[in-house]
Amino acid sequence: MRKMLVWMIILAVAISAPVEAKLRIFACESEWGSLLTELAGDAVNVDVATTALQDVHIVEARPSLIAKMRKADLLVCSGAQLEIGWLPQLLRQAGNPRVSSGPGNFMAASQVTTLEKAASVDRSAGDVHPDGNPHVHLDPYRVLAIAKALSARLGELDAPNAATYRQRLGNFEPRWQAAIKRWEAKAAPLKGKAVVVHHSSWVYLLQWLGMHEIGSLEPKPGVPPTSSHLSSLIAVTSSGGAIAILSAAYQDSKPGLWLAERTGVPALILPFSVGGDAQASDLFGLYDSTIDKLLEALK
Amino acid sequence: MSWEGFDLSILGPACLAGLIVLATHVPLGTRVLARGIIFIDLAIAQIAALGVILAQFLGMDEHGFGVQIAAASAALLGAALLSATDKRWPEYQEPLIGTLFVLAATGGLLLLANNPHGGEHLKDLLIGQILWVSPSQLWSAAIGSTALLGLMAWRAGKLVSLSFYAVFALAITISVQLIGVYLVFASLIVPALATVRMRGRCRLFVAYLIGVCGYVSGLVLSAILDLPSGAMIVWTLAGCGLLAQLLPVVRRLHSTHVSESEPGDLGGPAAD
Repeated sequence: MRKMLVWMIILAVAISAPVEAKLRIFACESEWGSLLTELAGDAVNVDVATTALQDVHIVEARPSLIAKMRKADLLVCSGAQLEIGWLPQLLRQAGNPRVSSGPGNFMAASQVTTLEKAASVDRSAGDVHPDGNPHVHLDPYRVLAIAKALSARLGELDAPNAATYRQRLGNFEPRWQAAIKRWEAKAAPLKGKAVVVHHSSWVYLLQWLGMHEIGSLEPKPGVPPTSSHLSSLIAVTSSGGAIAILSAAYQDSKPGLWLAERTGVPALILPFSVGGDAQASDLFGLYDSTIDKLLEALK
Repeated sequence: MSWEGFDLSILGPACLAGLIVLATHVPLGTRVLARGIIFIDLAIAQIAALGVILAQFLGMDEHGFGVQIAAASAALLGAALLSATDKRWPEYQEPLIGTLFVLAATGGLLLLANNPHGGEHLKDLLIGQILWVSPSQLWSAAIGSTALLGLMAWRAGKLVSLSFYAVFALAITISVQLIGVYLVFASLIVPALATVRMRGRCRLFVAYLIGVCGYVSGLVLSAILDLPSGAMIVWTLAGCGLLAQLLPVVRRLHSTHVSESEPGDLGGPAAD
C-alpha cells in the first residue's frame, strides 16, 4: 500500500502539466462557456463542467472536476444558488483561494437584477431561491449586461490581454444588438400568448417576449404534482388558450407529453442551454432555435 | 483519457473514507451474508433518512448535530424493530426488511410532499459522494468506526441479535453519509460474497484485500477515465471479487469447504 502511494505521488508529479500563461476558466454551464468563447476566444482556456442535457442542480463528483477547479483563475457560474447542491463542496475540496471569492469568482446572476426575488424565504413556497430566479441567460438584455461585466473582469484579471477582451466585446455587442432586433421582430406574433411550463425556468424568456405563464406542472418549484393539481392544470391548459407546454432538453419529457395528450396542446422541448439541440451550438443558435420552436407551436 | 484528476490530494481523502468504511463493513458483511439479510443496509439507511426528515418536520435545524442524533436514533429504533421481528418470525426476515425499506422511503416522500428543502438533506444522506468528504467528516467517521470495531472485538462471538443490529445500524448511519448507499452495499456484500466459502482470519484477510484493491483501482480508474468515482468503485470492487477467484488459496478452500457451505434459506419457512 505504501509503495503504491509512493508510486502514485511520483506519477502525479511527473504528469502535472507545465504552468500555462493563459487564463484558466471554470464555467459551470455551457451558456457561459459559449459567452467566454465570444469574449475571449483562444486567449483563455475554458473548461465547462456540465452540458445542456444535464440537470445543473445535480452533478456527480469526478476527480477531474476538482483538478480543474484547483487550476482555475476564474470561476463563471449562474449563481443565485442554482449550483448550491455541488459548487460549495467542489470549492471547499479544491481549496483554491483565487476562485472561492473576490475577482476570480464571477456569478452571472449577481451582475443583473433577478426576478422572483423572495422577500423572505418561506419553506411553504417551494424550492425558491432567496437570490431570485437563477436562469438569467434566457433574456438577451441581461446576457449583454453580463457580457460587459465579464469582459471587464477578464481584463482586470489578465491585464496584458485587456485590449483583446475589449476588442472582442466591441465585436460581440453590435452583433448581439442586431440579433436582438431580429429576434424581437420575428417573435412579435408570440406577444401576449400563454404557455404552461414544466419548471419555473422560463421567466426571463417569457418576460422578454411579452408572453405569460398560466400554469406549471410543478405546483411549487421542485415539488412533484398531486392529482388535484393535475386536474386543475388540465382545465387551465385547455381553457386558458396555452400555445405549448414547455420543457427543457434535460428534463423528463413524460409529464409534458402526459398533459399534451389530455389537452391537445403540444408539448415543446426547448434547448434551454447551448448544446440542447443541434441548432443551439452557440448563444445565437440557442435563441434562434428557441424562437423558431415557439413560432412553430403557433401554427 | 485524462491525467488531470490523478492527484493524491484529491484521491487520498476519498481513499481514506473507503478504508474507514471497509474496516467495519467487511466483518459485518460476512454476518449479513450468513444470515441472508442482504438488503438490511438499504432499509437501515432509509430509516435513518426518515429520522432526519421527521426531525426537520418537527422544526429542528437541518445542519446541526441534532440531525446526526436523529439519524442514529431512527436507525437504532429500526434495528430494534428488525431484531424483534428476527426473533419472532426469522423465516420472514428478508421480506419484512424489504417492506420496512419501502415504508421508510415512501414515508419520507409523504412527509416531504410540501417541503422540497427537506429533500436536499435526504439526498445528501443517501447519495453521499465519496470525493466530497471533508477532513472533519473523516475524523468523526474514524472515531465512530474505531469505537464500533472495539465493540465488535470485545463482544466477538456474543454479538447476536439486538447488539448485532445496533452495531450494524450505527455503522450504516456513519458510512452512508460518507460514501452513499451504492458503495455501502458493495463494500458490505462483495468482499463477503467473494470469500463465502473461506473461514476465519484467512477469509477476513482476503476480504479486506479485495476491498482495498477495489477502492484503490476504482479511484485510479475514475481519475484516468474521468468517470464518477462512486459508481466506478462499485464495478472495480466486483471485478476484484471475481479476480480473487483465481487465487489458489481461495480456490483450494472452495473445494475443501464446499460440502459444509451455509445451509441457506432453501428449506423455506420452518414448520411451527
